[in-house]
Amino acid sequence: MAIESMTVEAATALASGYTAIGAGLAVGLAGVGTGIGEMGIGAAAVGATAEDRGMFGLALLFTVLPETVVIFGLVIALLLIFV
Amino acid sequence: MFQPRPMTHLLIAASKEQMASVVTELYRHQIFHITDFVDQGKEGYEGVKIGVPFENAGELSNNLLKIRSIESVFQTAPSTQSTVQMRPAETIRAAIDSELPKIEGEVSSLTVKRSNAETRIRECEQRINELKPFALVPLELDLYRGYESLTVFAGYIEHDLDISVPHEKNYVAGKDGNFIVVFAESKNAADIERQLADAGFQSVSLPVESGTVQAAVEKYTVELGKVTQIREDCTAKIVELKAKYADLLAACDEVLSCDVERAEAPLRFATTDEAFVIDGWIPADTVDKITAALNQATGERVYVTVDPSDYEATAVPVEYNNPSFAKPAELFMDLYSRPKYKELDPTIILAIMFPLLFGFIVGDLGYGLLYLALALVLRKFLLKMGEMGTKAFIVILGAAISTSVFGLLYSEFFGTSLPWHSIIFSRHLPIGAGMEHAMPQVIELLIISALLGVIYISVGRFFGMINHYRMDHPGSHRTKAILAQLGWNFILWGILVLILSVADLNEYCQFPFALPTFVGIPTIAGIIGAILIVVGCVFVAIENPLDLMEIPTNTLSHMLSFCRLAAVGLSSVAIAMVVNFMAVDLFISPAMANLDVVGVLLIIVGVIILILGHALNVALGILGGALHPIRLHYVEFFTKFYQGGGIIYKPFGLKRKFSEE
Repeated sequence: MAIESMTVEAATALASGYTAIGAGLAVGLAGVGTGIGEMGIGAAAVGATAEDRGMFGLALLFTVLPETVVIFGLVIALLLIFV
Repeated sequence: MFQPRPMTHLLIAASKEQMASVVTELYRHQIFHITDFVDQGKEGYEGVKIGVPFENAGELSNNLLKIRSIESVFQTAPSTQSTVQMRPAETIRAAIDSELPKIEGEVSSLTVKRSNAETRIRECEQRINELKPFALVPLELDLYRGYESLTVFAGYIEHDLDISVPHEKNYVAGKDGNFIVVFAESKNAADIERQLADAGFQSVSLPVESGTVQAAVEKYTVELGKVTQIREDCTAKIVELKAKYADLLAACDEVLSCDVERAEAPLRFATTDEAFVIDGWIPADTVDKITAALNQATGERVYVTVDPSDYEATAVPVEYNNPSFAKPAELFMDLYSRPKYKELDPTIILAIMFPLLFGFIVGDLGYGLLYLALALVLRKFLLKMGEMGTKAFIVILGAAISTSVFGLLYSEFFGTSLPWHSIIFSRHLPIGAGMEHAMPQVIELLIISALLGVIYISVGRFFGMINHYRMDHPGSHRTKAILAQLGWNFILWGILVLILSVADLNEYCQFPFALPTFVGIPTIAGIIGAILIVVGCVFVAIENPLDLMEIPTNTLSHMLSFCRLAAVGLSSVAIAMVVNFMAVDLFISPAMANLDVVGVLLIIVGVIILILGHALNVALGILGGALHPIRLHYVEFFTKFYQGGGIIYKPFGLKRKFSEE
């Protein structure tokens, strides 16, 4: 569709559609990144906890570190949609 | 509050004749934390050795071992046994002498019988399995053996083959493998063996039974039935014995555990030929009580003294000292690490904030009531688990109540609105019929979360300063460490002032109160912010310039991390609303409008979606609502000041459940 022939409504709808895609990508890609980050840490953390139960707290701490990334993604998505 | 219970270092010395009464007295009070004596042959300790256990220790341990082995047969343990009645320890000891041999005899004869039966069951099953392939060969079992000049081969083979020497062969193709039996003269055995091996032959042992295969299998099946019955009988009898003796055994276990611990206590003391010294810690407020009690028990023939030396150098056991409402949060502290003696104990902050943050995230009256019901259902189970279970129960209860209260404030009930408008923040999203004009206060929620983050990080840094002041040795290192903590706060505040000097948060959100803003005075605010950041960086760099690398994570990222409180909460609301939309708007409402057979089916599908969806959200709520606040404390808060690694206070003595002295 040529840009010139769009009505205002169509342009608004298109814009909000792109916003939704952007928000989805923000959460989705951030989630993938977090997953990759937690992959190695999680495996090592489970190993460490199996060796020594006392490691649980520290292991949990390390495992959830990359989780912040997905929260950033979610925050960006919320900002995209609601601001 | 914020401090562990004050401890006093106590040394108890007496002649060896008093050892038994001192041990008994200490054991009875259950407040003395013994520091084990380690024989390192240090100067000044010549002639001091680790003590030897009391004479009866061996016999007691033996009896305890017997009881534990019976308990393992019964698959019980004192920890899983609930208290029926407290029995006097003396009667238990009498029972150990009189009844234990009898119980042990009964149990061991039953277990021997049962294990024999189990062995025989395995043998029978194995024989039946071994005979199975021979069933397909039309030969009696006697024909497989007893030859002088013939050799018999039997086994599985990949495919049939023509053997070049004279022989008699039976080949049966089957699903589990092809079975072959070959009879041939012994002189050709080597030849045949080679040819068979080429065809992938795997031999099986030849049957030793006689008669037909069916008869032999029948015989073993009958025997299998019999021995299985014996095993079942033994198991039933053991269950019977368990019902009869489990309580007694738990009590015996407890009494003996106490006796053994007492009898072996001298292993932790320093002794000379004639005397002994016990080194340990007790809560400071109990010194007089324990001194008086020891004097009374020994007729003043004991020397108790307080060691006033610096507590930093020695390892002080740590006992929490929290108001009772904060006790349950100790669970989370121990999960991370017990605080050190001189460290600030943040339990009380966790105790207050965990339920609040849980409620802030999940915040739904329906879910709150569900959690409440869950807590009450689990109550019996949790309370049985002892102190830890009780703490867990209170934690769940607090979270459930907070969730309900926040649900009332947010006006949420399983994702739908309550009859009133939300009182604090609206989290209703434009999902589903009638919600098109919902205006969730997302930005307000995000800002309030991030501000909470600023408060947490600042408080964490102040705690860090206090901890460094208390725990580090006085000197330039301590000053640098304290300044670095202050520097981090300056950087955070500087960044905040800079942000507020270019952006007026009040434009984006509506709070009942105005948020501070410096857009009116951008130059002054900019200068102040810049100065704060520069000074902060200098303070941090004085301690370690490499730490400057962490500015983005330690300030902005940790502050923004608190946005998860809003984000996770909104996602929980979104899931609830989507479930409602799918179930009600897509299935139930259209079906209700036009009710027929298909309509009823659609309603059923809708209800299933509703139940499963909310069940999923309840589970996610527990996970998200609990894990995220804990993580925020562990990662964003504790890393600023908390080290942990304190020694857990373990008073000498066992908490009795079944017996009393």
